[in-house]
Amino acid sequence: MTVAERMLSIDRRIIFLVIGLCTLIPLLYPVGLAIKVSPEVKSVYDYIEALPEGSVFLLSLDFDPASKPELYPQAVALLHHAFKKNLRVIGMTLWLPGTGMANEVVSRVAREDGKVSGKDYVFLGWSPGGSSVIINMGQDLYKAFPTDYNNQPTKDLPVLRDVQSLRDVSYVVSLAAGSTGIETWYVFGKDKYKFELGGGCTGVIAPGLYPLLRSGQLNGLIGGLRGAAEYEVLIGRKDKAVAGMDAQSATHFAIILLVILCNIFYLLIRASNRQAEQNRSERA
Amino acid sequence: MTFLRRQLPLLITFVTGILFAAQYYIPHPSSELMLTSVSKWLQIIGGFALILGVTSLFHIHAVKIRRKEAGWGYSFVLYAGMLGTIVIGLWHGGKETTDGVTTAFGWIYTFMMVPLQGTMFAILAFFIASAAYRSFRARSREAAVLLIAAVIVMLGRVPLGEHLIPISGDITQWILNVLNASVRRAILIGISLGAVALSLKIIFGVERAYLGGGKE
Amino acid sequence: MKTVWTLTILLISCAFTPWNARAGETVSPPQQVHVFDTPDDGGGSLTVTWAKADEEDKSLRYQVLLHEPSAGEPKVIAEFASDTHYVRDAKAPWWTRPAPKDMHQFTIKSGKGIDLKDGTPYAVTVVAIAGDQRALAAPMQTTPGPNWFNWNQINNLAIVVIFGFVVLGSIRAAKRREIFLRRIAGLDAVDEAIGRATELGKPILYLTGAGDMSEPSTVAAAVILGRVAKRVAAYETDLMVPHRDPIVMAVCQEITKQSYLEAGKPDVFKEDSNFFITTDQFSYTAAVDGIMLRKKPAANFFMGSYFAESLLLTETGASTGAIQIAGTDSDHQLPFFVTTCDYTLIGEELYAASAYLSREPVQVGTLRGQDIGKACILVALGIGTAFATASVLFHADFSFALDLVKDWK
Repeated sequence: MTVAERMLSIDRRIIFLVIGLCTLIPLLYPVGLAIKVSPEVKSVYDYIEALPEGSVFLLSLDFDPASKPELYPQAVALLHHAFKKNLRVIGMTLWLPGTGMANEVVSRVAREDGKVSGKDYVFLGWSPGGSSVIINMGQDLYKAFPTDYNNQPTKDLPVLRDVQSLRDVSYVVSLAAGSTGIETWYVFGKDKYKFELGGGCTGVIAPGLYPLLRSGQLNGLIGGLRGAAEYEVLIGRKDKAVAGMDAQSATHFAIILLVILCNIFYLLIRASNRQAEQNRSERA
Repeated sequence: MTFLRRQLPLLITFVTGILFAAQYYIPHPSSELMLTSVSKWLQIIGGFALILGVTSLFHIHAVKIRRKEAGWGYSFVLYAGMLGTIVIGLWHGGKETTDGVTTAFGWIYTFMMVPLQGTMFAILAFFIASAAYRSFRARSREAAVLLIAAVIVMLGRVPLGEHLIPISGDITQWILNVLNASVRRAILIGISLGAVALSLKIIFGVERAYLGGGKE
Repeated sequence: MKTVWTLTILLISCAFTPWNARAGETVSPPQQVHVFDTPDDGGGSLTVTWAKADEEDKSLRYQVLLHEPSAGEPKVIAEFASDTHYVRDAKAPWWTRPAPKDMHQFTIKSGKGIDLKDGTPYAVTVVAIAGDQRALAAPMQTTPGPNWFNWNQINNLAIVVIFGFVVLGSIRAAKRREIFLRRIAGLDAVDEAIGRATELGKPILYLTGAGDMSEPSTVAAAVILGRVAKRVAAYETDLMVPHRDPIVMAVCQEITKQSYLEAGKPDVFKEDSNFFITTDQFSYTAAVDGIMLRKKPAANFFMGSYFAESLLLTETGASTGAIQIAGTDSDHQLPFFVTTCDYTLIGEELYAASAYLSREPVQVGTLRGQDIGKACILVALGIGTAFATASVLFHADFSFALDLVKDWK
């Protein structure tokens, strides 16, 4: 076996080790490079920035703990921004496994920003049905969620004053890790009840949402950990997402290097095979 | 019996399919009320489906334990985990915290479910690297173009790449907003047409595979 | 009643109008004001249109006033600059525009402090304001109400109906004659994969994806399972179909049983070939990975919709040396499938696969209908692009043609 062949059939645990080190070392020894903000993330920021005080902002945390590394920082950044603008925040989730985590992030950020449950924000929790929940909220929010996550009747909450349905919400952002997610909010929500919709998603599904962004169906898109880092830069609160960008930089470079190496070895093997064939045909 | 297994489901599918296809074009409140009512039915059926899933799981593993099939010990672990979580969850009313104090249910969620799910998702990063090393080869001209685009996007999406090659960020944006968006749109159009065609076939009873069984 | 309201509003607005403005006002009241129930909606909304003024500069503003029956004074609903709120800005297709494009339009909707009740008459008027001067148009009364049909969506309905006829017509044509289908490499490999598994004496693993029976990809996966099960039955190879959804499992169980019956091998059929694991994404993935590593199937089929678990499944499968065939409409997972599988059916090739395997006229005809639909969309795209490019290059106005194509959604 030549060196190139041996390198191409290398034990994948060595690759796992390389990736592991590239993730761990920058987290322990951060560099802190500048992060350029993309127009799609700025659109979400600008829309929230332009909302008058007291506007209703609905944040749907449609993800489970598996997507926490990418979407949790987005949720934290958006909530800090919304609370800073003194918006009335409605939190909810369409994913059952994410309910505890969603409640934790909304309550924790609200506590940090000195906001009071029921007065400045409410966490509605989870209701089964996905698209059915959105339809029901579009007709009557109080029928869809008669009580909030803490069993308080939603009808009496000051934060939901003058909010009868989704038509009364100024801006909805869905942080989604898949289905049920942003597309569900558009098809069953925005298309029917005409509110403005923004999105946040994991890096892998972000490219698939660009058609919705380009057509104006979404007003903005926060994609992956990079999007979360950009949002943290915009609100001036650098946190876990910015910290994770160094690790992401190192990992991306490691993968690029591995891909270049594998192509070099592949081309070497191809060249030597071609040479061997040429020699054989000459001898024949 | 054939009427219950075949004709009746087809009739229900046809009537409800036409009804709710028409509902999209009727803005009248009675139409919206019908949609809201059916959405509530779907939520209730979704709840029953959950029970069906759990019952099925219990049954499968009960059979495994009874027959002492390979790995039946893990079935006991599943039983213990499921029953334990259900009992503790019901005890605390499904709440992770009570007056700021983490409940046992919250402990299970925070220290077992969240790390386990995170671990599974984190494995992806390693698998992507090993899959890339094994398969990202410039076997043809098209594969080479794909490879170059992938490298540019990987560079442009991280601060280090933008710092070393500033133009990579702008090229990445162009690739995502122009090339990627148009290709995704094309795939989406194809998939949507397929979905509409399949839906029409199901509504009109032309496609019956979902009922189970083959041709009549 | 109408006269009383008109006089009331005029008197009240006089109270707001400065005397010097009434004495020698230079601002004219809005002309051609027309108030009507907003069409194509579910009620609770009124629309007012009025003509553009001869001179609309930055100092001119418009106010819309609503007089509710229970309220004493008219309420100011909106105030905006005179160079905004045109008919052309409203998101309505050209065939439902209530007035010419350059007229002004404002829609009053229930919500945010306004409550328009269907069947209750309301009076609406528009005021032109320039500095201290106000000029009021004569108020008009109308009653909001719900509509039974949304004419804004008529193009959508027409397209669906026409497409439906095209599909049904294609199915009829397919019953009469042979229709050519291009070779899909992934499907030709199905036989190869099943044959390989039989030779090696190893089982075949078939996954139907993350979706439930309401998703087209899951239905397509179930249909393909039927075809695969028929061939597997003929070779008497072991088939394992782990499921994430109990209803999908029940349907696939029936489909598999029927396939074994049609293959003439009902005695070889195993009840537990289709089994339920869990609905949770990563628990299911861990279980299937375990099955792959223990049972080492020779062929893995990944059909249906997938999410983050796709790479975890396919990479584990690749590590066991199995031949892997995938088919999905989850475009975000396509890169992972293409990288790790031997053959991948992309997007609607999954839907086409059922037709390709069975050669049933219904399936083949549907495929042809879809192709015709795609051809029509391509033509529309071409026309729209040509007109849009021409309008920029030649500074011409092709908005009529562009609007027609733009509103096809």
